[in-house]
Amino acid sequence: MRTSGQAREFEALKFRRAPVVWTVSVLIVAALPVLAAAFMLAATSDGSSQIGLKAAAMLTSSGWAGYLAMVGMLLSVGALMGIGFVVCWCFGREFTDKTQACLFALPVSRRRLAYAKFTVIILWALLLCLASVAVALLAGAVIGLGVPSPEDLVLAVKAWCGGAMAALLACPLAVVASVARGYLPGVGALVLLVVTTQVVTAFGSGAWFPYAAPGLWMGMGGAAAAEAVGPLQLFLCVPVSVIGIGITGQWWKNMQISSG
Amino acid sequence: MKTSTAIRAERVSKALGGFPVLDEVSLDVGASEIHALVGLNGAGKTTLMRILLGMLKPDLGSAHLAGASVAGAEAQVWSRVGQMLETPFAYPELTALENVYCSARLHGMSKAVARCASERALSDLGLDQYAARRTGTLSLGNRQRVGLAAALVHGPDVIVLDEPTNALDPRGVIVLRRLLQEACRDRGAAILVSSHHLDEVARMADRISVLHRGRIIGTLRPGTVDLERRFFDLVLQSDMREQEHR
Repeated sequence: MRTSGQAREFEALKFRRAPVVWTVSVLIVAALPVLAAAFMLAATSDGSSQIGLKAAAMLTSSGWAGYLAMVGMLLSVGALMGIGFVVCWCFGREFTDKTQACLFALPVSRRRLAYAKFTVIILWALLLCLASVAVALLAGAVIGLGVPSPEDLVLAVKAWCGGAMAALLACPLAVVASVARGYLPGVGALVLLVVTTQVVTAFGSGAWFPYAAPGLWMGMGGAAAAEAVGPLQLFLCVPVSVIGIGITGQWWKNMQISSG
Repeated sequence: MKTSTAIRAERVSKALGGFPVLDEVSLDVGASEIHALVGLNGAGKTTLMRILLGMLKPDLGSAHLAGASVAGAEAQVWSRVGQMLETPFAYPELTALENVYCSARLHGMSKAVARCASERALSDLGLDQYAARRTGTLSLGNRQRVGLAAALVHGPDVIVLDEPTNALDPRGVIVLRRLLQEACRDRGAAILVSSHHLDEVARMADRISVLHRGRIIGTLRPGTVDLERRFFDLVLQSDMREQEHR
């Protein structure tokens, strides 16, 4: 009996109907590019104000290049936070809402249901980042940056890659949400992860820390730190994600319910 | 009436957190039979049902559904099972129809068949007017009905329901009783149902087993008078025997 299609259909429907997913989608697709555009305006129009000075410090260069680098920085952090929250909710809600018993005694295995959740989340996240970059390009044009050149579009693709890597890195949070049986522990782990990333980066080891590498590559640590991040360090997000997905799938396969 | 055993627990023991919850419980339900499990709170009814549905592994003993061991049951076996334990299959963000449809699809029905079966299942439980409503906006009783529709939508012949009438109004109880009796009669379903309400199971069940402190301590004959007094007699005798052994 082939059951993957049913599992994906079920998870996609729950996902589409979830208010938390729509909230995060609006934040990443609309609020994030608007924030980047506002920073860009603040940095270029009034360099003497407090916010202008801070925004200017975030710019690695002028014009589209600086703007899209800022979009990439915001997306690499914002996507990890937003998508990470959705990952935690998606897995943890089955325990918080006590619907986990509904996932037993079915022809569809629980491991398959877990993989269906990941499939839906990753596809949504990749499209979300794409939409966010598209809106950012539009916002850039609106604030007067003109028409982006082919080189600028390459930077836009780089920003999307930052978001995509963040999406992959959010997947292991499902382990915490599953093992701890709730989304709040997962959100706690997400906060801890962000703090750890800051600490590791401050100690200068960020490039080899998968959660810090995308942000550094986008220019969060300056141009020199960005150049120090190589393809291997960026690629580490893939095994981290695969391991997280694998552990979650195995845990869901062996899951038991011993209390209400 | 009993032709073959569709649900079977064999000398099942389980301890949780160091406390014995089930002690060598054996129980069977044949085809075309409704077997009710009654007991006080904490007797072990839900734990036994969890073990029968593969939600929990027994420390000792084994559980079987439709002739297959629960531990190694294939998808074909699970497609014949309908269950509702504790929380009903009623995701608040989905409509009543979507919940039942999802259950039908997860049990292996094609899209077209699942759509028709879901509408019929909701209609059977008197939920037609709520089909398009988000389940989160429904009353507790109607959410319970949605869960029952989801458990029965695929026409299972092995049914396990834990206190299915808890939130139902008297009309809902009658509807459920009729549906279970039809499932028994029309497709030979084996049904294990737990309840606190003795008069309700007396009207529905072919057999009643009493579970107390993790052990089956006796049976009650449905259709007889004074069921409540006989239930408490069994419980009292069991407690007195246990005190004598100490």
